[in-house]
Amino acid sequence: MSARAMSSRLPFVGAAGRHNRVPSPYPWLMPVILVMGLFYLYPVIDVFRYAFTDLTLLGGEGHYTLSTFANVLTRPELQQIVWVTFIFTAGSVIGQQLLGLAMALVVVRSENRHLFGTTILRTTALIAWVVPGIAGGIIWKMLFNEAPFGGLNSLLRFAGMAPVQWLSDPDVVMWSVVLSNIWRGTAFSMVVMYAALKAIDPSLYEAAEVDGANGRQRLFFVTLPQLRPAILVNMILITIQTLNTFDAIISLTGGGPGRATEVLSLYTFNVVFRNYDLAAGSVLSILMLIISLGLALVYASFLPKEEKA
Amino acid sequence: MKLSTRDRLGDILSYAFMAVMFVFFSWPLIWLLSMALRTRKEVFLGVARLIPKYPTLENFTMVLTSSQFPVYLINALKLSCLSAVGCLIIAAPAAYAFSRFDFKGKGAWMLGILAFQMISPLVIMVPLYRYMSRLGLIDSHFGTVMVYIALGVPMVTWLLKGYMDGIPKSLDEAALIDGCNRLSVFIRIILPLSTPGVASAFIITVIAGWSQFLVPFLLITKDSLVPIGVGIFQYAGTQNASTIQVLAAACLISVVPAIIAFLALQRLILSAMTAGAVKG
Repeated sequence: MSARAMSSRLPFVGAAGRHNRVPSPYPWLMPVILVMGLFYLYPVIDVFRYAFTDLTLLGGEGHYTLSTFANVLTRPELQQIVWVTFIFTAGSVIGQQLLGLAMALVVVRSENRHLFGTTILRTTALIAWVVPGIAGGIIWKMLFNEAPFGGLNSLLRFAGMAPVQWLSDPDVVMWSVVLSNIWRGTAFSMVVMYAALKAIDPSLYEAAEVDGANGRQRLFFVTLPQLRPAILVNMILITIQTLNTFDAIISLTGGGPGRATEVLSLYTFNVVFRNYDLAAGSVLSILMLIISLGLALVYASFLPKEEKA
Repeated sequence: MKLSTRDRLGDILSYAFMAVMFVFFSWPLIWLLSMALRTRKEVFLGVARLIPKYPTLENFTMVLTSSQFPVYLINALKLSCLSAVGCLIIAAPAAYAFSRFDFKGKGAWMLGILAFQMISPLVIMVPLYRYMSRLGLIDSHFGTVMVYIALGVPMVTWLLKGYMDGIPKSLDEAALIDGCNRLSVFIRIILPLSTPGVASAFIITVIAGWSQFLVPFLLITKDSLVPIGVGIFQYAGTQNASTIQVLAAACLISVVPAIIAFLALQRLILSAMTAGAVKG
């Protein structure tokens, strides 16, 4: 048997025939370890190293210094960038979570009552979710077109209302961006909430019924407590997703007008690839890492203890 | 079945809510389609011509016969398919090990792989751009595919592991007793039985690759190598109000393949995506 002869040379199959021995997992994990080490771990370590230098993308070896940290963290625009990021993330996450939960509740109720249209609604929302970020930005730019024939303003005019300066009014533009992000992201929350709702033990509802709970009480004392872990996990996922959002904003507003919609990821991009400031961009990257890690830990601390296993 | 007024009121409210949500989610797509089908004159008539009076396919022909767009589409297809195949080759053995072997630190390894997913691609692109330009891998599809693979591996590993967990271990054991080694159990038994899981992982990675923007935007500068995500962004930057209908057609063409791929395997993809989130 040539396969046998070969097997003695292959590290995977050392345990062949002797299956009582536990085979080593590492040959199997090696490809993943190599790829992740080379493309994630090593670059992330390098980001920390660059942050302590004055490297640029224009070449040169750079020197080790602490001044980049001080310089970046005291930039006057940073405060606004962080604020914009906060509004964008909070608005998107709260909007997606609430709307996703509401849609899941209504879809489950409608399915139980055999109402028409749940599949169409779910599929439509999911199609929005599959639309690539860049294309999503372009589509919403057409809708927010401020000319009288724009996709939303011509609707408003049709309804006899005044047009809105969706993208050029600095006070409105953030909400336009949040709206477009809710459009694209809600389906994910809806699907997660839907699956979590379906996983609730029906006997809990029967017990609540026996105890005479009305619909609102069932929602607040059975459904929502049961959904808690799923809601928290979902919020972690969509928060990180939103913090990393970049393409949908660059193609919708490009960060403007002024800096009104320049979120941290877009700012980092501009610092590195428009100003070629590699060291400053690395400091900002670390800031992004710390923010998402911190938020994940905060959410995780709200998880019920037994779920942590 | 008794139908109380309460239930009926609830039904009406449910329908109203679903209708509003349907309009919200479908309006941007309907608008995009409407614009793409209009002539230049009708673009300026706004919502009054939601259904164009003189619909035309000219915008689509213009996009598809242009010199750049077919190239962008082929580049995107090539990059996303190659990276999906690469992801599967790299992730499948690890998924098998995670599903079947018990070893020290298994949970930590799995969480570690997932933790990478929290890191913004932008963070790793900062140094990767520098390495790639030093290695001469700027304007190379190979370099770009490798980065796509790295971005996709954590998710694919988890997906496949979850799927393989559903295949009874007794099959492995029977084959091992019959004299198969681990590698051939994996290749001849587990992989074929995992076809639905592999297929959904493949489609998810293809869709993710199709939607990629940042990585190719940074690593590819030559117009003939650019995939659709970057191509359409650059095209949009050169457009003005008088060509909005062509941009709409181009945008629609760039979106439709992802939507079709998703709809084809919707159920599989959804169950795979939610499994992780619901289990926590």
